Amino acid sequence: MNSTIVIPSRRTAIEKRKAAGGKIAAVFPIHYPRALFWAHGLLPVEVWGPPGAERAPAGSHLQAYTCDIVHAGLGFLLSGGLAAADAIVAPHGCDSLQGLGSILLDFIPPAQPVFPFYLPRAAREADIDYFAREIESLSRQLSSVSGRTPSRDELHKAITEDEAADGELERLWERRAELPLDNQTLYALSRARGYLAPQEFCGLARQAQAVAAPAASAKTVVISGVIAEPAAMLSLLDRAGIRVGADDTLCLGRRFYPAGRSDDPYRRMAERILSAPPDSTRGSAIGERGERLLSLCRRAGARGVIFRLVKFCEPEQFYLPALRRALDEANILNLVLETDLAAGLDGPSQTRLEAFLEML
Amino acid sequence: MNPLSSIAYRLNVDLIGRAVLRLERLRGERALRRHGDRPGPLSPPLACSPRLKELISRHYLRGRYASGHRPVAWVTSGGPIEHLQALGYFLIYPENHGAVCGIRRLAQDLCQAAEEAGFSRDICSYARTDIGSVLSGKTPVGRLPRPDLLVCCTNICQTVLYWYQVLAHHFRVPLVLIDTPFLYRPAQPHAVAYVRRQIEEAIPVMERVARRTLAPARLERVLVESKEAVELWMRVLERGKARPSPILAFDEFIHMAPIVEMRGEEDTTAYYRVLLAELDRRVAAGVGALRQEQRRLIWDNLPIWYRVRPLSEHLASRGVALVASSYTNAWGELAPLMDPRQPLDSLARVYLHPILNRSTGDKLRTLAQMVREYQAHGVLLHSDRSCKPYSVGQMDQRERLGRELSVPALLLEADHNDPRSFSEEPAAARLDAFLEMVLS
Amino acid sequence: MNPSSARALGIDIGSTTTKLCAVDGHGRRVWHAIEATEPRIQDQVRRLLQRARGDGVPAGLDLLATGYGRKLVPEARAALTEIGCHARGVHRELGHGGTLIDIGGQDTKVIAVGDEGKVQNFAMNDKCAAGTGRFLEVTAARLQVPLDEMARLALAAPEEVSISSTCTVFAESEIVSLIARGAEVAAIVRGLLRALARRVGALARSAGVRPPLLLSGGVARNEAVRRLLSEELALPATLPAEPQLMGAYGAALAALELQSQPPAGQSGGSPS
Repeated sequence: MNSTIVIPSRRTAIEKRKAAGGKIAAVFPIHYPRALFWAHGLLPVEVWGPPGAERAPAGSHLQAYTCDIVHAGLGFLLSGGLAAADAIVAPHGCDSLQGLGSILLDFIPPAQPVFPFYLPRAAREADIDYFAREIESLSRQLSSVSGRTPSRDELHKAITEDEAADGELERLWERRAELPLDNQTLYALSRARGYLAPQEFCGLARQAQAVAAPAASAKTVVISGVIAEPAAMLSLLDRAGIRVGADDTLCLGRRFYPAGRSDDPYRRMAERILSAPPDSTRGSAIGERGERLLSLCRRAGARGVIFRLVKFCEPEQFYLPALRRALDEANILNLVLETDLAAGLDGPSQTRLEAFLEML
Repeated sequence: MNPLSSIAYRLNVDLIGRAVLRLERLRGERALRRHGDRPGPLSPPLACSPRLKELISRHYLRGRYASGHRPVAWVTSGGPIEHLQALGYFLIYPENHGAVCGIRRLAQDLCQAAEEAGFSRDICSYARTDIGSVLSGKTPVGRLPRPDLLVCCTNICQTVLYWYQVLAHHFRVPLVLIDTPFLYRPAQPHAVAYVRRQIEEAIPVMERVARRTLAPARLERVLVESKEAVELWMRVLERGKARPSPILAFDEFIHMAPIVEMRGEEDTTAYYRVLLAELDRRVAAGVGALRQEQRRLIWDNLPIWYRVRPLSEHLASRGVALVASSYTNAWGELAPLMDPRQPLDSLARVYLHPILNRSTGDKLRTLAQMVREYQAHGVLLHSDRSCKPYSVGQMDQRERLGRELSVPALLLEADHNDPRSFSEEPAAARLDAFLEMVLS
Repeated sequence: MNPSSARALGIDIGSTTTKLCAVDGHGRRVWHAIEATEPRIQDQVRRLLQRARGDGVPAGLDLLATGYGRKLVPEARAALTEIGCHARGVHRELGHGGTLIDIGGQDTKVIAVGDEGKVQNFAMNDKCAAGTGRFLEVTAARLQVPLDEMARLALAAPEEVSISSTCTVFAESEIVSLIARGAEVAAIVRGLLRALARRVGALARSAGVRPPLLLSGGVARNEAVRRLLSEELALPATLPAEPQLMGAYGAALAALELQSQPPAGQSGGSPS
């Protein structure tokens, strides 16, 4: 079932921006302070390895044992996919993303300026302090593209809007069972957070919540791992009447940033990201990730978890055995689906997924 | 600490062990004098090799009896250890232990043990070796003491971050994280301040677990010792600039163990003095590690631990000497940054700047500089499947070495510890084609 | 076996062979046919159904499809994965749970079947040729040994050469080098089958092995593989009566089960 929400596409958002004379920053995964870009008047558009992206050009820069997200991202850039961007942002996320950022700066380099930045791997005072300074440094670099230096008030405004949008996103998922949205639509809406202006996103999210109905029962799963793609996987779940009740992916659920506390805008942006849900790429404790996953399953009444991994993703692979054990002990079935981000779902993956659903 | 354990330690390590290992060294030295001169392209092994063996064996012997006598810390290879040394910790380096397993051809079994426990074959082979060893209890060094503390520094990669979380979960001991921001560009003040603060804030944790207070004088001695060892190591490596080179990178891979895992100890500094003296004698006499050195190459990335000797012989048989590596260089090049009078500030800089924490462009510059300084004819880039921070960027580095500097470079696909990711025939074919090119 | 007593049909469209199986009201096999899979699957399915009718199987029976071609059968009332179908087939065969290892030409499946016939866990190897029949095809060709000779050679081999490569392509290189060094072909063959058994064993352990152990698939007919796999998992390995029919049989049983349920109401109401 579907309600009639019209979700603007990424392309439309970009074209609209360009037509209005606005600038765009292409942002590679994973964590980054969205509010900062809006304060600069830049539209941040996330690049998560577009399914149709040509990977071949990346093959002369990246060995085969780097993940598909990085291959597809670089391939997309090299085949002109990021031509509309005025800046390219490379957050530090893992060794492969580190390599991507470094290669972009030193060896490609693209026509646009490349802005890398580091993400600290804990949430101590030292980390928050450092990250606040690092975000400030990023802001200075962005000024060379945006042509402005946002004031404290402008930053606060952007942060407040950003917090509102993240709040709506989280609420959508908390109320998932009541929303008459199929999985594909819910994810399309959630992904739009990665390129729509916060207020526009809030509008759509509220629209979706407005048609909430008492929760209907359905067989429920939780998706964990890197990203809930390809679309074919979600449509398969929809056809089988399976509801995705919660998300624990790098792309979505692990970027539910809570509201910050500090009055200093840079510190606030830092706090938010560093207090996101437990995440392998941020070096969270294994026990914490396990607890989070179990808690999501309980709240959603999920009978199974699909770990959607991408080959060569070390952060995810190190945590996997402990997470699967925790699920086994709680009698929650789980499936590991490790495939490239191709547009469709290949035959064997489809069989695995279907066999898993048959088990539920 | 446990008095019985301390007695066992003193008895087995300081008394009996010391004597036994010394005897073994003397026996080894005698054997070298008698039979060391072997036929073939390689010169006799370094006379100080039995001394190295003694040093490392003593280290692992200490480890065997350390539990209950000394606090034990498991640390990453690039981590700041000076404070731990000053507090009397016994240090285990899972990566070094992994390399020992790799050299002794035990790594595959251990990796498989980790894989049976659900860990993917696509994660770092050092981590799989270590996890496999922890889960199975198997180790070639007798016995690995359980950690009381884990110290993880991300200046070599992010993989250690996840790996040490697995260890922390398994052992249920405190984990100290020293997170070092990757240097896409030169380090900014807030990055240095961040590392400094983390080291400083780690001290109370280290003290608490050791049940000891850090003595500043002791720390300064460790730093002095550490700096001197690193400087000596750098000079050892620089002897490779001589033509012929008195030492090969293959030997350096083995002789680097003390600088990594026993830095700051007097025995380590003493050892490198002995090694340096022997190399100086060789250089003075014009003795090379190869009897006939025709060409010189630089190695990039970790060694292929299970093929060190065969590769050494393969290259030697063609008169090709591996005279330096970016890997061994990493533990020498930062000596100038060390300042025993400014422990926190200088250590923050030192641990921020290892080659693996610097950009791919910087690595290219480092390799180019090494080619010049060591008068090399080419570069062997080990494309290590397990080590993305070291391997990603190599394709561009290879291309630019060739295009901009006319330096031939070969990309050799393998893995540092997992022999299943290495195929002899295709690798040999590629290597030979490259060597032909270099020798022509 | 009376084909006219058939009450439900199951079809398993694999990449190499297609199997059609009929069961009576008690779930006993009463008719079956096995053919090499043809490119035009729908034509083949129609022809097979005609063949069944020609042999006395009643027309209009519920048909359930499985295998990689399961979605291409318009005559099927529903489709189920081969995992689910094999589990049903094995459970019915044994009377209780166990582990089925199906080593096919191109992929290998391990299915842990619970005591109620449900799939408890499964593992598949479909990306990598090692651990499948393809490994044997390639290495047999490299050794110039007929594929069906491998078992005999391996069982008679007085020695075994350890194959260290886990990758099929690497293994080929390794074979060339072993032969050049004078290793005996039979010893190499045994080593290769051991490598296959190890690989399959590891896959099986990842799904959890519970006795008894049942083998199916083309490669299971290789007695040497059965023995080595049995050694690897420290369990006796048996072949079901009709190893190739497990999938189609399970599909037919599932079709029979559907009959005791009302017909599907909403679209796509089948289990998967």
